[in-house]
Amino acid sequence: MILLQLLINGLVTGCALGVVAISFALVYSTTRIFHVAHAGVYTLAGYIAWLLLSHGVPEVIALAAAALVCAATGALIQHQLYARLERRGATHLVVLIASLGLLAVMQNIIAAVFSPNILQFPVPWANRTVALGGIALTYAQLLTVLICLAAYAGVVWFAHFTALGKRIRAVASNPFLAQITRLQPNTVYVYVVAIASAIVALPGVLVPLDLGLQPYGGITPLLTATIAMIAGGVGSISGAFLLSIVIAELQNLSLLAIPGEWSIGITFFIFVIFMLFRPTGLFSTAR
Amino acid sequence: MHPGLRYGLALLASLVTAGTAAAETIHLGAVIPLTGPAAVVGNQELRGIQFAIESANAKGGVHGNKVDVQFEDNQAKADQAVLLFNKLVDLQHIPMMFVGYSGPTLAMAPLATRKQVLLVNAGAQADKLSTASPYLVNTLPSTSDEVKVMVKYLAEQGKKKAAVLYENDAPGIGGRDDFVDLFPKSGGTIVAQEPVQFGQTDYRPALLKLSAAKPDVLYVVITAGMPSLVQQLHEMKPDFLVAGSTFMADPAAIADPASNGIVHTQVQIDAPPDLAAAFRKRYGADMDFFARQYYNAAQITLTVLDRLVAENKPITGKNMHDALFQIHKFQGLIPMEFNSNTATVPIGINEMKDGKDVTLRQVTAQ
Amino acid sequence: MDFLLSYLALASIYVMLGLSTNLLVGIVGIFSVSQAAVFGVGAYIVGHFLMAAAPMPFLAALAIAMLCCITLNILVTLPSLRVSGDYFVVTSFGIQLLATAVFTNWTAGTGGASGMPGIPPPDLFGYQLQSTWQLMALCMAGMLLACLCFWLVMRAPFGRLLRAIREDERAVAAAGKSVLRAKVSAAALAGAFAGLAGGIYATFLSFIDPSSFDLDASILLLTMVVVGGARTLAGSIAGPFLLLALPQILTLLDIPTTFAATARQLIYGLLLIAFMLFRPQGLLGERL
Repeated sequence: MILLQLLINGLVTGCALGVVAISFALVYSTTRIFHVAHAGVYTLAGYIAWLLLSHGVPEVIALAAAALVCAATGALIQHQLYARLERRGATHLVVLIASLGLLAVMQNIIAAVFSPNILQFPVPWANRTVALGGIALTYAQLLTVLICLAAYAGVVWFAHFTALGKRIRAVASNPFLAQITRLQPNTVYVYVVAIASAIVALPGVLVPLDLGLQPYGGITPLLTATIAMIAGGVGSISGAFLLSIVIAELQNLSLLAIPGEWSIGITFFIFVIFMLFRPTGLFSTAR
Repeated sequence: MHPGLRYGLALLASLVTAGTAAAETIHLGAVIPLTGPAAVVGNQELRGIQFAIESANAKGGVHGNKVDVQFEDNQAKADQAVLLFNKLVDLQHIPMMFVGYSGPTLAMAPLATRKQVLLVNAGAQADKLSTASPYLVNTLPSTSDEVKVMVKYLAEQGKKKAAVLYENDAPGIGGRDDFVDLFPKSGGTIVAQEPVQFGQTDYRPALLKLSAAKPDVLYVVITAGMPSLVQQLHEMKPDFLVAGSTFMADPAAIADPASNGIVHTQVQIDAPPDLAAAFRKRYGADMDFFARQYYNAAQITLTVLDRLVAENKPITGKNMHDALFQIHKFQGLIPMEFNSNTATVPIGINEMKDGKDVTLRQVTAQ
Repeated sequence: MDFLLSYLALASIYVMLGLSTNLLVGIVGIFSVSQAAVFGVGAYIVGHFLMAAAPMPFLAALAIAMLCCITLNILVTLPSLRVSGDYFVVTSFGIQLLATAVFTNWTAGTGGASGMPGIPPPDLFGYQLQSTWQLMALCMAGMLLACLCFWLVMRAPFGRLLRAIREDERAVAAAGKSVLRAKVSAAALAGAFAGLAGGIYATFLSFIDPSSFDLDASILLLTMVVVGGARTLAGSIAGPFLLLALPQILTLLDIPTTFAATARQLIYGLLLIAFMLFRPQGLLGERL
C-alpha cells in the first residue's frame, strides 16, 4: 500500500503548504508586496509555541498564543516597514530586498536565541500513530490535515461572508478606487498582514510538531507555496490551496519514478516551463 | 657521548632555560562553521576545544605558557576557509589550527602543505582527507574504516540485501559510496538507495520507497535529524535491521525508545562522568560526540606543545607536525596511535537499547 | 601578506560579479537571485577543462566558460521578458535552486556535493602562474578588464538606451528601439562577467563546491550591489570590497565568538533593510 501511504503523506504536506500559500496570497493580492519575510513569521510561530510548551503551557493555548504573536509581528512589519517604504516611493524591487533583509534578520535572531540545532517539541502524544486501513498516520499529521482544512474553509468564509473580508477584496481589486472611496487601504493592509500572519502560524506550529524545528527552513516551503499561488492563479484562494496539494503529491509520487535528489529540482523546473507558456496561472480571476 | 647522557644534559639545559624564559601565550587557530546549518556541529567543536584549553590554562598552561585559540567562522564554505587560513597564518603566524567539515578542510589542505601549518581534524571523515596533505592529521577514522567494520558485522549477521538512506552532501555521499562498494564484496546486494537533504526532516517518502524494495538491512548515513528519523522509522514498524555509523549517535535519538534495535559503528570516545558533568555545568549542554572529539584533539595538541616547550623548540607548524609523529601514541580521552595521517582508534559496534547505547564489541581499525 | 592578497583577489572576483548583478538588477531592472548559479557554471566549466585528460590552456577554458555563461544568462532572463516582475522573482529563485540541485547531484560533471578539488593554477601563454601575488594580479586584471568594459558600455549609446528603458520602457519601444534586443544584450554581458569571475575563482581557490554558488551567495551579491550602490561602476566596486571586509572587521571587535557568527548574517540583513529604508541608492549609486 505504498502508493496510498505516499498519497496520504502528500495530502498532509499539501494541506500545510496550502495554508502557507493562501496566507501569502492574501498579502500579495491585496498589498502587491512579495512578502518574503512571511517565511520568517512562519518560522517564528514554531519557536513561540515550542518555548511555551517547554514551560508547561497547554497545547491549545500555545498554538493560540503563537498565532497572536505572529499577528502582532505581521502588523508591525506592515506598519513599520512596508508602509514606510511606500511613503518614500520605493519600487517593488526595493521592498522585495527589504523583505529579504528582514527574513535574514528574523532567521538569525531565532538561531542566536534558540541555537541552530533541530529542536523537537515536548509533546509525546504527537508521534503516536493511528492506523487507518493499511496506512499509518501520526496524531501530528492528522491534526495538521484537520486544522489546515479548517483554516482554508475559514478563510473562504471570511473572504466572502464577512464585512472585513469583503472590504479586503474590494481593496485588492482596485486600490486606487479604494483610496478615494475611503476604504482606507493602509489600515486594511495592516489587518491583512496581521490575519495572514496569524493563519500561517498554524502550519508554522503543526509542521515542526511532526518534523522538528529549525531556524533556516522557512524559505523552501514559502517558495513552493508561491509557485502554488501563481500556478493556481493569484486571487483564487481555492486555486492556491488545491495546487499546493497537487505539488506536494507530485513531489511525493515523483519519488517512485525519479531519484529523490531531483524532486525539488523538478518542481522548479516544471514551474519555470509553466512560466514560459502560461504565466497567468490555471485559475486566475480576470484582472 | 652516551645517548642517555646527551639526553640528560639536554633535559637539564632545557629545564634551566625553560625556567628563565618569559612565559608567552601560545596562539593557535580554529577554522570551523559557526553559522548556517553546519553551526550545530561547529559550536560543539568550539566548546570541546575551549573546555580543554581553559582547563589547561587554569592549571598553569603549558609549562607556564597560556594557550589561546582564535576561532574563525568558515560558514562551512571553501572560499571563506581559504581566506581565514591565510589571515591566521599571515597576520597571526598561527602554527596550527583545528578544522572540521570535509569541503573547507580539503580546500585548506594544499595551503597547509605549502605553508607548513598543522591542521588537526577531529570531525570530518571524508576518505580523501587521509591523503590530502602531510600536514593534515585526522584523529578519527575515515568513513570507509567505519563502513568496513559494519559490513563485516552485517555479513556475520547474515544480512544479504541492503537499502541505503544517505544525506545528499559530502559525508553522506562518501558513506554511501563506501557502503555500495564494500557490501557486495562480502556477498550482499544493494537493493535500493535514496538521498535526503541535509536538514530535511521528512523521511517518510524516502523510507516508504526503500522499504518497498524489501531489504533486510537499511544502512543510514545522515548527520542531522536523527531524532525525526528514528521516530518515523518506528512508525513504519520495519521488519529490517537499521544500521549506521557514528553519525547516528545523537543523544536525543538514543534516549527515545523508538530507537531500540538500531546498530551502528561507534568511534569509541567517552568522557569520564565528572568531565561530562563539568562540561554540562559550563555550557548547559551535553558533551556530545564532536565536543568529546575536539576535547581529545585539544589534549593531543597540548601534549605536542608540552613536548616542544620542554625541548625548547620554537612552536612552528613543522615542529608540531614532527613532534606529533614522533610521540605518535597519545592518551587523551582515549588511546590513539598515529602510524599515518589518520589515527588508529578502536571502533565499536553499538546497539541502542532502552534509552542507552550499548557496546556489543570492539574492533581496532586497520 | 597572503591574507591581504587573498582578500584583494576575492574582492576583485566579487566586483566582477557585482558588475554582472548590477547590470541585470540595477540597470535593466530584472530581479535576479540566480547570478551565483551562472557564476558556478563558469567555475565548474573552467575547472572541468583544466583537469581534463587533455588539459586546455586557461584562456581557452575561460573563453568557453564565458560563452556558456552568456548563453545561460540569456536563457535565464528570457522568462523575465514574458512574465511580470513579481512572478519572475519566483522563477529566479527557482532557477537558482534548480542550479544548486544540479551542482549537488550531477556528480559525474561537477563532483557533486564533495566538490572539485585540485584545480591547477592557470597558465598564460605557456607561463605558469604560481605565487599568491601572481594569482592576485590575475584577479585584479580580470576586474579591471570588466570595469573598463562596463564603463565603456555605459558611456556608449547602448548604455543610454539601457538607462532609457529603465525610465520608461514603453517610450523607448514607441521610439522604435528594440527593447528586447537591448535587454538580451545586457543579459549577455552580465553573463560574460559572471563567467569570467567563475573561471578565475576556480583557478584561484583550486577547490570549488556547490556551497559557494547557492541561494545565500546570490543574496550576498544582491546585498553588495544594494549597499555599494546600484547602477554605477563605483557602487559595484565599493559593495564587494566593503562586504568582504565586514567579517574581518567584526572579528576585531571583541564579540563572543558564538554570537559573532550569527551577528554577521544579522548585520547583512539589517544593512539591507536600513539601506532600503534610508538610502536605496546605496553608498555610491543611483536610485534602485
